[in-house]
Amino acid sequence: MADSKYLVGSILLGSALLSGLFTEQAYAEDAQQAALMARGAYLATAGDCVACHTRPGGKPFAGGLEIATPKGVVVSTNITPDPQNGIGTYTQEDFEKALRRGLRKDGAYLYPVMPYVSYAGLTDQDVKALYTWFMHGVQPVADKPPETQMAFPGNIRMSMMAWNMLAESEKPETGDSATYDKLRRGRYLATALEHCGTCHTPRNFMLVEQQDQYLAGSQLNGWFAPNITSSSTGGIGDWSEDDLVAYLKTGHAKGRSQAAGPMGEAVEHSTSHLTEADLHALAAFIKQVPAHDDAVEHQARDSFGQAAVEPDLRSGVVNRVDNQPDYSGAELYDANCAACHGVNGAGTADQYVPSLFANSVVGAGRSDNLIMTILEGVNRSTPSGHASMPAFGAHSDVQRLSDRDVARLVNYLTDRFGSGDHHVTAEQVGAARPRPSTPATPSDATKPVSAHAP
Amino acid sequence: MPSDQNLSADVVIVGSGVAGSSIANELARAGISVIVLEAGPRVDRQHFVENFRNLENKPSYQGPFPSTPWAPHPPNQRSPNKYLHTSGPDAEAYQQAYLRVMGGTTWHWAGCAWRYLPSDFELKTRYGQGRDWALKYDDLEPFYYQAEVMMGVCGPDPGVEDLGSPRKQPYPMEALPLSYAGQEFRKLIAEKTPWRIVHEPQARNTRPYDGRPTCEGHNNCMPICPIGAMYNGSYSVYHAEAAGATFIPNAVVYKIERDAANKKVVAVHYYDPDKGSHRVSGKYFVIAAHCIETAKLMLLSADEQSPNGVANSSGHVGRNMMDHTGVQVTFISGDKALWPGRGPLETNVIDNFRDGDWRNERGAYLVHMVDDNQVDFATQLAIAKGFVGRELEEQIRYLASHTVRLFSHNEALPDPENRLTLSTTEKDALGIPHPQVYYKLPQYTVRSCDHTRSVFRQLIHLMHGTDEEWTPGYFPQDHPAGSTIMGVDPKDSVVDGHCRTHDHENLFIASSSVFSTVGTGNITLTVAAIALRVADTLKKELLHG
Repeated sequence: MADSKYLVGSILLGSALLSGLFTEQAYAEDAQQAALMARGAYLATAGDCVACHTRPGGKPFAGGLEIATPKGVVVSTNITPDPQNGIGTYTQEDFEKALRRGLRKDGAYLYPVMPYVSYAGLTDQDVKALYTWFMHGVQPVADKPPETQMAFPGNIRMSMMAWNMLAESEKPETGDSATYDKLRRGRYLATALEHCGTCHTPRNFMLVEQQDQYLAGSQLNGWFAPNITSSSTGGIGDWSEDDLVAYLKTGHAKGRSQAAGPMGEAVEHSTSHLTEADLHALAAFIKQVPAHDDAVEHQARDSFGQAAVEPDLRSGVVNRVDNQPDYSGAELYDANCAACHGVNGAGTADQYVPSLFANSVVGAGRSDNLIMTILEGVNRSTPSGHASMPAFGAHSDVQRLSDRDVARLVNYLTDRFGSGDHHVTAEQVGAARPRPSTPATPSDATKPVSAHAP
Repeated sequence: MPSDQNLSADVVIVGSGVAGSSIANELARAGISVIVLEAGPRVDRQHFVENFRNLENKPSYQGPFPSTPWAPHPPNQRSPNKYLHTSGPDAEAYQQAYLRVMGGTTWHWAGCAWRYLPSDFELKTRYGQGRDWALKYDDLEPFYYQAEVMMGVCGPDPGVEDLGSPRKQPYPMEALPLSYAGQEFRKLIAEKTPWRIVHEPQARNTRPYDGRPTCEGHNNCMPICPIGAMYNGSYSVYHAEAAGATFIPNAVVYKIERDAANKKVVAVHYYDPDKGSHRVSGKYFVIAAHCIETAKLMLLSADEQSPNGVANSSGHVGRNMMDHTGVQVTFISGDKALWPGRGPLETNVIDNFRDGDWRNERGAYLVHMVDDNQVDFATQLAIAKGFVGRELEEQIRYLASHTVRLFSHNEALPDPENRLTLSTTEKDALGIPHPQVYYKLPQYTVRSCDHTRSVFRQLIHLMHGTDEEWTPGYFPQDHPAGSTIMGVDPKDSVVDGHCRTHDHENLFIASSSVFSTVGTGNITLTVAAIALRVADTLKKELLHG
């Protein structure tokens, strides 16, 4: 990076990643080493390592996050420099093998949920910077996450060797990545670091990314990582570079879309901390990704709908506390959404609460992200502020909507503000609900003392 | 209709409001088995929001909550009404509204989360009036903070604005910004009077908190916050259930069963809506059923062992009924428009009259400049003035933007003559007698209200007010207290300083019914704090006893 002050400033914003950065005074004294450390920290943010290698409420990079894949649950590992539980004994060569080739120090193959096919594109210099930072900038944590338990044939890690032969890895870039021109830098960020394709590129039956459909959209644990190619009907061809920069920086491009779920996390942990120059480079690269039309989307997702004429729902009828009527979609909207999004769906004047028309999540032909946003809400913190919508799913304190209510609400929203009634069924909503997560167990819980015993 | 169902838990709690649900949550998190019996049904926010939107009489706080026949609650604050029957010289002043539903009455409150002042617990010692509590402010301080974290309370920086209740920790959230009306009123009070306006502590989000959104100022905290930015007991119900507690809705407890020695409670009995009877046994019992219903249940459980009711050897169950009986005035400011009705209902308070040496002869009080939408009042006034057509519309705009409403919370005293008893004539669908209350406002409170009126007149004069409309007489604040009063002497009180009944060693009460005096701040935070202290006592006895 040309301007190292700027770079350190942007790292400071990622405070979660910062713990321990300055603990090793000896290293900080050496200016060159400090620059390498800062570069490594920034690269780790751009690579969004923390997203998978930290469990909710856990220490940074100590692993333990359960990641659902079509083949089973993979538990992320501890990549802090703890010698017993982390990667403390890794040499730079060991680190490079894991990062770019998916090989553990003990020779076992990593599951490709670790995007080593993307990280393979990193330059040698950046691998060194990452290694230096992980070894000296990250607090060692003596926690061992449980081993991944996969069913056959996934449990045979050797089978990954065959997979690796099918999957096409990025070719390592060369030279100093900080000196690349805008498009080359953007490509480097998108492929070797942010690994956009990991979620946005459809995979074949062997779960290999189909490079001829790069960023053309893919399923993701109930969510849908949409087509973000330059197609003006199926993708985001109507977005400007500035729109993309605003989205990546704040999670919200007004009148277009807002990030929730996994993309909300990517914005929170990674893209919102990129430098302005890198954001523009990344946006410029994405904008020139070859257009790929979409089987479902035939009109730009953010081009649908308008403010609704205020419906008059007032009946004067008040029902007994235990007698909840069978609410229609319009009534569900009135009771649960209108307070914030407005009776007409226009959101707030400053769009802190976004409009529901001119909104990709509502306009999309696929209802996945609308359903998931209703069930899980929005909770996205960036240096620009905190975006929040309460969840309406099974753990909500605000309102727990049934599958039937969510389906009715989604159909009402797509009909009124999107491309038409999607005829989503209660069964589809039920299938989309996140699998029951372990209820939050308080840390001070003790064993039952005497439930029903004398 | 006897039932074969037999339930049991370490701790059985009656009532699922802020007190019952927060105790259940604390105990369940500690691995203790808990059953909570709630007389009313399980309910949803969307149902109340739709009821409120469809309601014609918007200022009716009870309006969106029509009760069930098996768990009736007061339909309004008028006397006579069909449930809470009041009598005596100040019958109108004791029309308390509350809810019997899962989560309790905090479904409709304004979120005001005051701590009491240290002096509020020592009124007798400091001012020779009323009683002392059997606990001190310092005993409650850690639980006040625990309650503030649980509810999500925002409040001013104590270094900048000291509210008189010493704090070891800052408020969990930053204070709510004052509305335009609040700011202008604050300026006026600071410049033209010897008094001050403080930010009212609120159980309301000023940032996303606990999975719930930031307050957007919908201005209808009462009767229902439409987005969940304000705390209500249903969140503690959800949290307790996630931690393993069992909640049984539509379970109307009607009897507290004791052992042969009448020393310990062994079970409670409840009716389901079809009057099927069920028995729930346990090791400890907590009655957390609101001041009115708690006393009602204790009296209802009278039998040969305890002819005056459970825990009532002192004869004080149902006595000492208190409230923050207040004064209210609405007028049109002759100064510039304040545009009330933007933001939460209650955000600012004049707190100069919460304590002082004069408390030896008249009660303390606090003053709200209530920030509610005044279009309703303005419209009635404009029509009464005879305006029509375009002029009517202009007048409504003018009057609604210039309306000021002030009301006060005035301190009552515990007087045994102010008494709750069971109606001998009125019964609910299950055959359970309705509660009835005799109420005569103590002179201590009357003198306090007189003082408030003089302050309100000064404020009206300052604002060049016209069209003043005084709410007739005294009006209830829905902060009932005292019906199972706390004290050190078992002869003149019902519970001790830990809210354990003097008569029954495993029976606790967690409700404003234990308050020995009622102070001036809204009662809910103190209810939550004493409930969390009860949970702490139970945890110690069950885990280490």
